Amino acid sequence: MSSLSYLVSRLLQIIPTFLLVMVVIFLLVRMLPGDPAIAMADAKATEAQLELIRQKLGLNEPLVMQFFYFVKNTLSGDMGTSILLKAPVLDVIIERIPVTAFLTLYAVCLSILIAGPLAFVAALNKNRGLDIAIRSGFQVGLSTPVFYIGLLLLTFLAASLRLFPVGGYGTTFLQHLHHLMLPALTVALYTSAIIMRNLRSAVIEVLDADYVQFARSKGLSRSVILGRHVLRNALISTVTLLGLSIGNLMSGTLVTETVFAVPGLGRLMLEAIFARDYPLIQGLTLTFAVMVSLVFLFTDMVQAWLDPRLRLS
Amino acid sequence: MKTLLIAALAGVSMLAINSAQAVERGGTLTFARYDDSNLVDPVYADRNPDIWMVTNLYDTLLRTKADGKTIVPGLASGYEVSADGKTISITLRDGIKFSDGSAITPADVKFSLERATNPDFGPWSGLLGSVESITATDNGVTLAMKNPDPTIISILATFNTAIVSKAAFDAAPGATDQEKATALFAPGTPVSGPFTLKDRSRGSTMTFSANPHYWRQGEDGKPLPYLDEVSFVVIPDDATRILKLQAGEVNGAEFVPFSRVAELKADPAINMELYPSTRIIYSPINSRETRADGSPNPMATKEARQALNYAINKDALVQLITHGTGKSMTSPLMASTTQLAHDGGPLYPYDVAKAKELAAASGLEGAEITLTTLAGSSDDATLFAAIQQMWGAIGVNVKVEQVDNPTRGAKNRSGEFDIHTYGWVNDVNDPAQVAGWLGYYPTRKAVGTGWNNAEFNSLFEASNTEIDPEKRSEQYKRMQEIYADAAPLLFLYETPFAVALSANVNGYLQTPLGNNEFSSAWIAK
Repeated sequence: MSSLSYLVSRLLQIIPTFLLVMVVIFLLVRMLPGDPAIAMADAKATEAQLELIRQKLGLNEPLVMQFFYFVKNTLSGDMGTSILLKAPVLDVIIERIPVTAFLTLYAVCLSILIAGPLAFVAALNKNRGLDIAIRSGFQVGLSTPVFYIGLLLLTFLAASLRLFPVGGYGTTFLQHLHHLMLPALTVALYTSAIIMRNLRSAVIEVLDADYVQFARSKGLSRSVILGRHVLRNALISTVTLLGLSIGNLMSGTLVTETVFAVPGLGRLMLEAIFARDYPLIQGLTLTFAVMVSLVFLFTDMVQAWLDPRLRLS
Repeated sequence: MKTLLIAALAGVSMLAINSAQAVERGGTLTFARYDDSNLVDPVYADRNPDIWMVTNLYDTLLRTKADGKTIVPGLASGYEVSADGKTISITLRDGIKFSDGSAITPADVKFSLERATNPDFGPWSGLLGSVESITATDNGVTLAMKNPDPTIISILATFNTAIVSKAAFDAAPGATDQEKATALFAPGTPVSGPFTLKDRSRGSTMTFSANPHYWRQGEDGKPLPYLDEVSFVVIPDDATRILKLQAGEVNGAEFVPFSRVAELKADPAINMELYPSTRIIYSPINSRETRADGSPNPMATKEARQALNYAINKDALVQLITHGTGKSMTSPLMASTTQLAHDGGPLYPYDVAKAKELAAASGLEGAEITLTTLAGSSDDATLFAAIQQMWGAIGVNVKVEQVDNPTRGAKNRSGEFDIHTYGWVNDVNDPAQVAGWLGYYPTRKAVGTGWNNAEFNSLFEASNTEIDPEKRSEQYKRMQEIYADAAPLLFLYETPFAVALSANVNGYLQTPLGNNEFSSAWIAK
């Protein structure tokens, strides 16, 4: 199979995923307890005002018709109007995608930068002091709640040492890098702990593999062996894991974006859920689903590049 | 001796200078908010982050002073109410302008008030339900009333009657009034308030800049506001908002959790303000004969509800939950800052013996009551733990049911609850709104309790057309007596608005209604 047809077939697989997500999100939102009209209106609203909201949202229509309109409108690019923000859902999401994408990418880069070198150091010093120290250090990162790490970083690095701003996003690229350092680091600490453990075992496994022994006996230099043979082979499973953890990472933005006052999709999702803003919740969930699907697609492409067997099978 | 006298005089004059520190103009005040404004428009503002910002951009005809009670002239220099209360003539101040320099005319006022009375626009038109028609005159407007309305003067000092530019609405894009209002919540819109909107990034930041044509004078004899700009940043997390202030990145942070007040008070760089509010924390008690499932309701008698109230140590709750910043309710219907609040001392002072006696007499002993609380609210969790223990002493078992806000709202409306937590802040500088909400059955079944008292209902109706202030005050006194005695609520406590400011910020005010007032704020350099 050529690379192009592989890409096309993977893209086509996204369509059923997308439809399934639409069904699930439509039903899930409607299964939430509490009348959305009450959630959206103030407690002081009269029955007539509530009825007006229900009409606006089409909540009085049969479920099947509601779903039909939902699919029809979404496919034509109309995700409705957010009750909470009084603005078109699509506009709001488009405004915020770059923020969350920036934060996620930043966090991924940081996790690779942290986990990669340390995994190698740990693997090459298997079961020695350094390995144990690295692994226990990451264990702390894994077992501490994300919001707590966030608050600790904010308190010490931002409020006390003033190295970073306390929350916000900034306006220029450099400001984004500066403002998002702590939230990205918060998320990265957790993700890198998972990646490090996986990469470390993969490296250890590959180091014992026949082809590495063979490369050694050929007299290849250590750096060539590690770079060309060990890294590439050890990365295959780690890339899968990284792809999967980006999904996690995005859900992590719900907490981090709130703690760090980052105006991204995660914080918006939290606000939308609390306000029972149906159109916004649906729009955001679909956006997350598309983003995660695209990340998985990208992961598959990278894997195929790393491991030709996948392309050829 | 003479030298001593001079020194003493000098000392006294220094003191005088220090106590009346001269205002300083200019600068930007940055303020961390818990939530963003989505649409700041007099008639469509329906959430507190919107409502509380309206009067910064749009001025009202009359204004409420900082005490939250006294009405003073605003864009109107005065008003006259006819003897029968059915005509109100409002005279506009001379020379008032919108921020683009165009005059504020009677036509703008008529347009603004007609928007405010239109039942199709926004949730507040009911506040002007007594207005029959609005006519523009040479120098103001005349309101013809369907019936005399004692609240109308207060309503003319309320955000929903603030004055917008008719020309701006005529020119704005959009098919409906709401679309136009949304389009006008943007930089460049001419406004009548002390500030104009300079820029805004949804969910993140918003900047106000001084309106160069604003009419009100500052202490230095020049027009307000003192500040060049107010810059808002939205930081939903309480701890982060406070850190931002401590790091010196903002000059103010609102909604400081009460647990942090003492710590911030001790910080010399921070001025921890507790502004009196109209906020009350109470719990509606299902007062119907039967529960929603048809079983007999142990809280149906007033004696049972009185017992529950006597058995609560409010002082302990004030300490536990508000860390001493709140106080027990003294009026059953409203916060003590509200007009016509009757101060009968703390309601239902803690009295276990009396509570036991009433519980035994009303058959409350051994009853099981469910307290519906907000999931994730630490205040509610503390309240539940305290109440469970306090009511244990009178033989009442308490179960907890944790729900989210929409579910709690739905339960309140359907009556499927025993007792649930709730809070309230007045939107209007008149007790009719809160009294209607808590006690008047036709509004919302007396805040969902099902309590329906004919005398209260007719007093409330009469008070809404009573223009003799003394008679109205008497009606309110009687309503408060009836309500306190019937106890359809657990009367808990009042809380202030906690705002932390940098020590060099002066003149900022959060009014008892919650409005954020920046017009008189200034920064000492």
